[in-house]
Amino acid sequence: MSTRSILLQAARRGGSLFSLVKKLWEHPKGRLGLILVSLLVLVAALAPVLAPYDPYDVTQRAEKGLRPSLQHPLGTTITTGQDILSMLIYGSRVSLMIGIITGVILAFLGALMGVIAGYVGGFADTLIMRVVDIMLVIPTLPLIIVLTNLLGRSYFVIVLVFVVFGWTGLARVIRSLVLVLKNSNYVKAAELAGAGRWYIMTKHILPGTSHLIIMNTTLTCAGIMVAEAGLSFLGLGDPTAISWGKMLAEAQGGGALLFGAWWWILAPGAGIFLAVFSFMRIGIVMEEIFNPRMRASSSIYKIFKHLNNTYLDEVFRSMEDGEAEGQPFSSTPASEGVHD
Amino acid sequence: MKRSYVIKRILYAVFIFFVVLTLNFFIPRLGVRDPAERYYPPQGSMSEIEYNIIKQFTRAQYGFDVSTFQQYLRYLRGLARLDLGTSLRSGSPKVTALIGERLPWTLVLSVTTLVISLSIGLLFGTLAAWRRGRWQDSLLLNASTVSVALPAFFIALMLSFYLGFELELFPAYTNPNMVAQFDWSWEAIQVVLNNAALPIMSMAMGGIVGYSQSTRNSVIAVTNEDFVITARAKGLSHTTVLYKHILRNAMLPLATSIGMSISGLIGGAIIIEQVFNWQGMGTLFLEANSTNDYPLMMGIMLFLSAFAILANLITELFYVILDPRVTVGDKR
Repeated sequence: MSTRSILLQAARRGGSLFSLVKKLWEHPKGRLGLILVSLLVLVAALAPVLAPYDPYDVTQRAEKGLRPSLQHPLGTTITTGQDILSMLIYGSRVSLMIGIITGVILAFLGALMGVIAGYVGGFADTLIMRVVDIMLVIPTLPLIIVLTNLLGRSYFVIVLVFVVFGWTGLARVIRSLVLVLKNSNYVKAAELAGAGRWYIMTKHILPGTSHLIIMNTTLTCAGIMVAEAGLSFLGLGDPTAISWGKMLAEAQGGGALLFGAWWWILAPGAGIFLAVFSFMRIGIVMEEIFNPRMRASSSIYKIFKHLNNTYLDEVFRSMEDGEAEGQPFSSTPASEGVHD
Repeated sequence: MKRSYVIKRILYAVFIFFVVLTLNFFIPRLGVRDPAERYYPPQGSMSEIEYNIIKQFTRAQYGFDVSTFQQYLRYLRGLARLDLGTSLRSGSPKVTALIGERLPWTLVLSVTTLVISLSIGLLFGTLAAWRRGRWQDSLLLNASTVSVALPAFFIALMLSFYLGFELELFPAYTNPNMVAQFDWSWEAIQVVLNNAALPIMSMAMGGIVGYSQSTRNSVIAVTNEDFVITARAKGLSHTTVLYKHILRNAMLPLATSIGMSISGLIGGAIIIEQVFNWQGMGTLFLEANSTNDYPLMMGIMLFLSAFAILANLITELFYVILDPRVTVGDKR
């Protein structure tokens, strides 16, 4: 079975959002992911109800540096006596908001760019792929730091920067799939029947890529949450909000390591782990559902590459069959027709 | 055919570099229109004439005394002489001098991390591919999920806490005198290795898993190819097939990914260097950020981008030389 026919099959296997959730629920690993994500969303939404103390209250002198106990299930900070459980609950809001909002915007932008590059081709394709090439060589984290320095430290800026520099990965994946779909019989038939470009793009091409978009979005959310934690840890997040990355930075700065306050470090770390893990779980299971031959590990590999900002084409090996379609440009050498 | 391809790739790399350096020139100007107003805002007690003098002096100092286009030409002329500009620090050191001072220390971390994670990753990845679907393979899969979800700086904090403060095996913070006292003596090298242990461990954790994963995928892809099946059918032993047929071919994409990994590692070391206060490029960049030293920040950015472009180019050219299956020219 050629890669192309697998891709076409996967594209058809997508189905509606409801049936997707149902499939996820039926998958044992997917169920765990779904439960964890819904729990996180609930916790973030109900933070003011669930948090036992005011996380912003820095005046509890008598409560400084308490170990986990019944009063303070995760202990308190050694510097200001803030309740760590309450901070953890409030911190989930930042992670989820940034992760999900950025992920969804990125999905739209990446899909749009990928479909335009793949379907319209020509000059648009050249332009988009050159921009992708340029973004690949600019070191992401330093660039984000420069831009937050110049434009100010707010979540708006952070999301903006993530969006402007994050769409390239998805655009490349979508583009290679579109190149395949473009030559499929049903698109050819639609073209012959006289359907317009816009009609074909929205009615035939986009639905065919939806499974990839949804899957990538969950993985991107996970990646963005890690990146946001890193930025906040460096003190580049919004200074007014409580986030898990910032909690870790405060723990380090406040001497949690020196005074052995392990609970202050473990709690935000566990928060980050749980959030990223559950989103990744869903993404991996989706990949298994859509493309049984690809297996779980390739999506993990993809997220590794995402985090390192180096997209090697082995990632797309199982997807990219685009050489035969006559790709005008390819940014990495592995697509020179090595793997077919 | 091959030569024209090589020339084309080199020209393309030069084009990309040109775009990147132009972006590099304009990005800080998004935020700083006029250094005089930004750094020395007018004060009440100052007369118009006094402030004009300060304004002109500041603009000249930051090179804003000519039009933007002339500034850009000046910047290009500087680059042609390998001059990345002057830092705003006291004493106005050259950006290249600062990078030269700090780069070796970052390379100590990133190269060692790369060597460690590559060698362990190759071993474990091959094992996982060879025992596909058994416990070694699923162990790798689980390790991958966990290591992606645990950010490197969190691992660094935990290592610093447990191995550094609790067990006192390694220094939890970098010895501040390490750089100044380094004189290539055996003791000094030992001090460096001792201090580098924890940063390297925290960076290698993700690297090992990442390389294992890519080795595994690469090996499995090669295992399914026809020539491996042929080799098996010839009756060659498992080990011969593994070493002579599978590994040689599977190493290719890995070998060529090293260049990009180094540039990624240098950029990615920022957070880890910050955790351990390691005096490398990452902390240099963060220092520049906290003092709004834009020439220094953009100089480091340009250096890293140039490094990535070069690594990319070398990788592409290597691929043409190393892999006979690569066909060039007719497809583009």
